[in-house]
Amino acid sequence: MNFEAVIGLEIHVEMKTKSKMFSSAPIDFKAEPNTLIAPLDMAFPGTMPIVNKEAVRNAIRVANALHMEIDHELWFDRKNYFYSDLPKGYQITQQDRPIGKEGYLEIEVDGIKKRCDIERIHMEEDTCMQHHFSSYSLLDYNRAGIPLIEIVSKPVLRSGVEARKYVEKIREIVTFANVSDGKMEEGSLRCDVNISIRPYGVDTFGTKVEIKNLNSLAHIEKAIDFETKRQSELLLLGKKVQQETRRFDEAKKETVLMRVKTEAADYKYFTEPNIPPIKISDEFINNAIETCPELYDQKFERFMKNYALNVTDAQILLSNVDYANYYDKCALFTTNYQNLANFFISSILGYLNKNVVDIKDFNVEPKFVAELVDLLKSKEINSTQGADIFNKMVKENKSPLKIKEETGATLISDEVKIRELVLEVIKLNPTLPSDFKAGKTRAQGFVMGQIMRKTGGKINPAIANKIIVEELNK
Amino acid sequence: MKEVNKEVLKDASLRLMFTMEESEYDLLLDEFHTIQTQLGLMSKIEGIDDVTPMTFPFDVSIDYLREDEAKTPLNKEDALKNAKNVKDGQIKLPKVVG
Amino acid sequence: MNYLDLNIEEIHLALVEKKVTCLELVKEALKRAKEDTNNDFEIILEEEAIQKAVELDKKDCPKDNIFYGIPYCAKDNFSTKGYETTASSNILNGYVPLFDATVIKLLNEKNAILIAKTTLDELAMGGTGTSGHKGITFNPYKNDHTTLIGGSSCGSCAAVAASIVPFALGSDTGDSVRKPASYGGLVGFKPTWGLISRFGLFPFAPSLDHVAYFTRSVKDASYALDLLSVHDDNDYTSYRKERNSVLFDENNISTSKKVGILKEVYDSIDDETLKTSFDKLVNKLKEVGYTVDFVSIDKKLLSSIYPAYIVISSAEATSNNANLDGIKFGPYYDGKTYQEVMINARTNGFSSLIKRRFVLGSYALMKENQEEVFKRAQKVRHLIVNRTNEIFNDYDFIIGLAAPSVAKKVGEVSEQLSDKYLIADNYLAIGNFGGFPSITLPLGFKDGLPFGVNLTSKPYSEKQLFEISYKIEEITGLRNLSVNNKKEGL
Repeated sequence: MNFEAVIGLEIHVEMKTKSKMFSSAPIDFKAEPNTLIAPLDMAFPGTMPIVNKEAVRNAIRVANALHMEIDHELWFDRKNYFYSDLPKGYQITQQDRPIGKEGYLEIEVDGIKKRCDIERIHMEEDTCMQHHFSSYSLLDYNRAGIPLIEIVSKPVLRSGVEARKYVEKIREIVTFANVSDGKMEEGSLRCDVNISIRPYGVDTFGTKVEIKNLNSLAHIEKAIDFETKRQSELLLLGKKVQQETRRFDEAKKETVLMRVKTEAADYKYFTEPNIPPIKISDEFINNAIETCPELYDQKFERFMKNYALNVTDAQILLSNVDYANYYDKCALFTTNYQNLANFFISSILGYLNKNVVDIKDFNVEPKFVAELVDLLKSKEINSTQGADIFNKMVKENKSPLKIKEETGATLISDEVKIRELVLEVIKLNPTLPSDFKAGKTRAQGFVMGQIMRKTGGKINPAIANKIIVEELNK
Repeated sequence: MKEVNKEVLKDASLRLMFTMEESEYDLLLDEFHTIQTQLGLMSKIEGIDDVTPMTFPFDVSIDYLREDEAKTPLNKEDALKNAKNVKDGQIKLPKVVG
Repeated sequence: MNYLDLNIEEIHLALVEKKVTCLELVKEALKRAKEDTNNDFEIILEEEAIQKAVELDKKDCPKDNIFYGIPYCAKDNFSTKGYETTASSNILNGYVPLFDATVIKLLNEKNAILIAKTTLDELAMGGTGTSGHKGITFNPYKNDHTTLIGGSSCGSCAAVAASIVPFALGSDTGDSVRKPASYGGLVGFKPTWGLISRFGLFPFAPSLDHVAYFTRSVKDASYALDLLSVHDDNDYTSYRKERNSVLFDENNISTSKKVGILKEVYDSIDDETLKTSFDKLVNKLKEVGYTVDFVSIDKKLLSSIYPAYIVISSAEATSNNANLDGIKFGPYYDGKTYQEVMINARTNGFSSLIKRRFVLGSYALMKENQEEVFKRAQKVRHLIVNRTNEIFNDYDFIIGLAAPSVAKKVGEVSEQLSDKYLIADNYLAIGNFGGFPSITLPLGFKDGLPFGVNLTSKPYSEKQLFEISYKIEEITGLRNLSVNNKKEGL
């Protein structure tokens, strides 16, 4: 018997707002533990939640990108449960009326497009961070209250690769819309998988297994593929799939049991009585959508149209919204767009990869990058000089033109000067013109070699070649 | 409605993270019988299901949202001042598993 | 006579005219507080109060700040920065808040002097003044510790009734200020839901919770609202529109208003002394020009107020108090797992009553019960509010005895749920269901114990409510009533 997997995904995305979902405490993922807390975040008695406007704007933007119906009134609910990482003993979420519902996105697997229906998107707040040690755990409340959006797909995905593509697409949307860093490895995008299997052609559902804590795209795909295989083998052996929660073991590359689910948890939801219903005007919604940073497809189209790049280069630049944004900034200062793309991909990405630097920490002014690209294009400097200038530019965030001036890293392009040098070489080697005319092209190279040696390589080779040929032909 | 007996009440209290004495559960069970009679009367009120459940006393809908501006947080010492079990600037608990 | 036996308005005048100093007032208040044996206080802030009084006496009392130098108390469920606040629950022992409740801040800014935090029923979840971690709070009208003052704002009520302070903050979720006010012979007032910020009030049931307070005159109640009714960005439910002044001109009160008596409540009371006083008041109101009629609410609906209130308030309470786990604040109990830590803290920290209410509230919210329990109670709430609003289409006020009896004796009542509810014992919760402004005023005495009358009106009609209350105060002659200033009333 052949089985198909039925997969639904719940994705939590941590927003990168300045303040938390319901309090004004700042957000900084790198801050010292317990230094970014408002009284609400530790649930001190008498504190009350106030909804962050930017978080709502973000949720609207993502909902719109996912073609969802957007609610014009915000309602919040309490999800009541006790856990060590939950300061209030409840989480404020949107159970009854999510801000967005009934949407979809499109993925492409092996050239075939597939529409994935999405049930809902809602806003909620993050829990505190737990650090586990051998015999104890430590609690850091900096994360408590960071705005989250949760995106819940319908059970429409059928394979590990589909699930991966789906998450990639969500990540692309939230990063391009500037809603989140979307970093799975750092937990700013988290994915829980619900998976069951059933024989092909059957439309009922099998027993659902939940896989938690997947922290990379590759793990999602591998975990689902493993789990599909595991469940299939159980059924083929006549055994039952247990309703349980599993996690992905990175070392073993397989899912392992966390806990068996006895009954569905009852979260005793009810309307948050401290947040009145909030009316959201058409104007606010439209404004949020209109001011949404460019999403992938728009950006790709613009890159192709405005910069006339080749497709592969455009794809590389758009593989990370921060690359694309940096490229855009550089492109303000040059029109050598393809050269800029080449330079970005080879030199800048090369540098970032080699030194394990995030593009966000690449602090060179875009204008300087553009200058360097133009210098290289004009052949005023050669690639070796270009590399030297680049290194200095990165280190000192200094203008390449200035560096070139200071280091004398400039090529002699003055025709009179070059001709003088060429004539000097011919004067010392009078047979060169006749050798050249007799077909010995080596003569041309010899002259070039000589003048390069004399000037320490600072001759503009294009101009020099032209003059050498002229003089040897005389 | 879920049937109420002592086991249900014990389970419910444990889910609320506390326990009670046997005698307290007995008392509570009595109270449940009382309240269930009352609830039964409620269900007979004319027009009871023609209205929506009311959370807020009157129409309180608003359009205010807080601007996304960060304010100075609590300093760490203050935030942790009331916690009794603190280690390395964080609140300490027995190891949390699963 | 001591200046402390006067009301805020009169004390203010004495301060302005330099007949008394802030320090004299505060010292007398502290002396009375320390001598009091009725269990009114969680903590007395002696040093802080004296220090502030000394500071204030360095300046003249400004004529435009009636609260300058006025000693007051706050129920111990208001967050006070730097001062232990326990809500009379062991689970909060030792908790020192990091911020002031908005009302505390407002009073502080006006230089009122907080002299003590007062006892309450544990976490404000009770109506007897018996369930706090310091035990029973007694009624000062009987000096033998035999009589209750009622709750949950028991300490605040007893302190104002005993003339320790002229003003005390309380909170009112079902009737927790307006009912004890009846037993203590005081003005007990709660405004429209949302007018006074709840930021910093420990929540019991936010959809029903109100900041409320006790005074010894109607005018003082209006001054207090004038001070406390301001928009607060820390409370999302805080009223956002422009507020009309609630200060009234006592020489220009219109009596061409309509007053409705809830017939079913009236009929359910069998205490003839109280009824006679009430009838007298009604006649006098008619004499001065008011129209007074009986109005009706379905008895089944009225009988459902208490169960609906218990269900809604317990459900909200179980969630609001889920933050109390000994981890972030309050006593920490060790355990092998985090669950044990929480269970130990909560098992030791809450009294039996609180736990029983939490189980009930949690039961009401369970998936399989929610429709038939929690949501049905919310529907009852809706029906009651709808009917009350219908009455307010025709009437400006609803009037009734604030309680069907005078204060109960110790041992006479328990917090245990029973089916012997009196409609008249619970109908004040209508004011919380609909967020209506509501006021209790002293009406008369029986066996040396005071009892009161309650008036409720439509949202944002506080000024009108104060006006008729002032008229009633004139009729009863019970302004400035306290154990030091006993009068007869009607």
